[in-house]
Amino acid sequence: MQSTCSLRGSEMRRNKTTNNISRAGKKEERTAYLCLIPAFLGVSLISYVPTLAVFVLSFFDWNGLTTPKFIGFGNFERIFTKDIYLAESIKATILYAFLAVVGAVLYSLIIALLLNMEIKGRTLFRSIFFVPYLLPAIGVFKGWEWLYEGNFGLFNFVLRMVGISPQRFLDSPNQVIPSLVMIAIWTSGNLIVIFLAGLQNVPRVYLEAARIDGANAWQRFINVTIPSISPIIFYNVLTALITHLQVINPALALTDGGPGKKSMFMSYVIYLYGFQKNKMGYAAAYSVIFFLLVGVFTVILFTTQKNQVFGEGE
Amino acid sequence: MAAKYVRKKTRKEKMINLLASLFVLVLAALVLLPIWWIFRSSLMSTATINEYPPSFIPHEWLWANYSKALETFEYWTYFKNTFTIIVPAVTFGTITAIFCGYAFARLRFRGKKIFFNICVGTILLPGMVTLIPLYVMWTKGFGLGDTYWPLILPFLTGGGFFNIFLIRQFLMTIPIELDEAAAIDGASRMRILWTILVPSIKPAIVVVAMMLFIQIWNDLLQQIIYINSMDKFTFAIALTNFTGSFGTNWPVALAATFMTILPGIFIYVLGQKSFVEGIVLTGMKN
Repeated sequence: MQSTCSLRGSEMRRNKTTNNISRAGKKEERTAYLCLIPAFLGVSLISYVPTLAVFVLSFFDWNGLTTPKFIGFGNFERIFTKDIYLAESIKATILYAFLAVVGAVLYSLIIALLLNMEIKGRTLFRSIFFVPYLLPAIGVFKGWEWLYEGNFGLFNFVLRMVGISPQRFLDSPNQVIPSLVMIAIWTSGNLIVIFLAGLQNVPRVYLEAARIDGANAWQRFINVTIPSISPIIFYNVLTALITHLQVINPALALTDGGPGKKSMFMSYVIYLYGFQKNKMGYAAAYSVIFFLLVGVFTVILFTTQKNQVFGEGE
Repeated sequence: MAAKYVRKKTRKEKMINLLASLFVLVLAALVLLPIWWIFRSSLMSTATINEYPPSFIPHEWLWANYSKALETFEYWTYFKNTFTIIVPAVTFGTITAIFCGYAFARLRFRGKKIFFNICVGTILLPGMVTLIPLYVMWTKGFGLGDTYWPLILPFLTGGGFFNIFLIRQFLMTIPIELDEAAAIDGASRMRILWTILVPSIKPAIVVVAMMLFIQIWNDLLQQIIYINSMDKFTFAIALTNFTGSFGTNWPVALAATFMTILPGIFIYVLGQKSFVEGIVLTGMKN
């Protein structure tokens, strides 16, 4: 009876002489393993095993129906020498991800800073800026397609009012990426909420102390606020980067990779090869290249900042 | 004690706050403008929608566009299909996330640290990379092509580690004395979890459920590759195909678009309070 009262896990302490765990500890451990079955299945079957499988599959020539044929680095050779999408898709993906991450992080940080001030109707505003994030993405894209319409869309109305000739936005090779990035920024309400959470943890005492020492608003922001929320900034940049490098919905719902391959994102190319052209092995090889690209960016980001966001600390 | 730090506002600070309020108000209007513009355009005729200068409010509200859209856009079929995926995936995704989050927050077991770090690693793995192998597994391995199973089953794993992490963070803010008191009264661990802990982390649970909801709703790619039959189409697939077939009839296409946005707005209004509170309280750090 006594051991059940102690849930802090003291029963788990190993008996030094026999190195055995007490019965209550074993029971706790069994409960833990049972609870974690879903996570274990997810981590193995949905994440790590398929990631390994994609490397294996990339060495085969396979249309998804007949027996796969081992061809070594054949797929990679083709991709790097003959592929018609590789250069364009890497360019489109990096450009989109870079602009979307910078734009979304800056936008959401500014909004969060404003909402952290003592302004009227804070709660209402907070929900307003969050709405676009929760709208179904395909509806958002279809709606924005109309806003970007070449003659009578909202943006062209506004441009006409200030005397600028109509722009083609999604149909223009130069404007398609910035136009899609605008939608990404508009729907980044989740970052705002996470920034707000961070800003509320900035110790007020420090801000007060800095004020008494004569620091102006900008100095307080740079020297107190930014250092306090740097783990949050890192977390937001990291997750936004991984999300936006995998961009595919705008291509599927709006552009089909066009105009002129300018929005031919890597994820979309993987989809095209795998499911439109039934070249599973080739698409897997493309996925490997994509994986390495994302990996490089993640590593670069981690080396610039050593803050531990997901620590197993107590 | 806290009152000590609250000073009286100077006039300059009041001015700054006023300016900030105005700025936020303008920004909020800009953020809402696209939604209003889609709605307003969905109620106009093909002629009035192209007028210059544009009117902010439609002259007459043509609800007929909506019934016209419904003639070919089988809203309720897509609604039923979408929710056939969402209801079990969100329900069981949330429940499994609670179990896993509980184990990481409260239980001690061998390999905890290693397993936790392995789980954190999955956040860095881009899901896109697993698309082809998972497709092969679900369709060739289990023969589940053209069914909803490949879209539901992955969520029965805690719905991704981020959600498990969120539940864990929340549980760790609940004093362990609460568990101990209940244990003295003879409650089992599972009973403590479901009758004491779960009710006290309600905001976190709402956050997880809503994140899963929106994630499934937006997952056009997987819905396209797994679902082939038209009678199984979800909102996302149907809308992608629908607007193209309507060519230049923007008002009707936008009516269909707005109808698919509507359930999102509705659910947001329902869970909004817990949602914002939930994420804010999590603090997102240790």
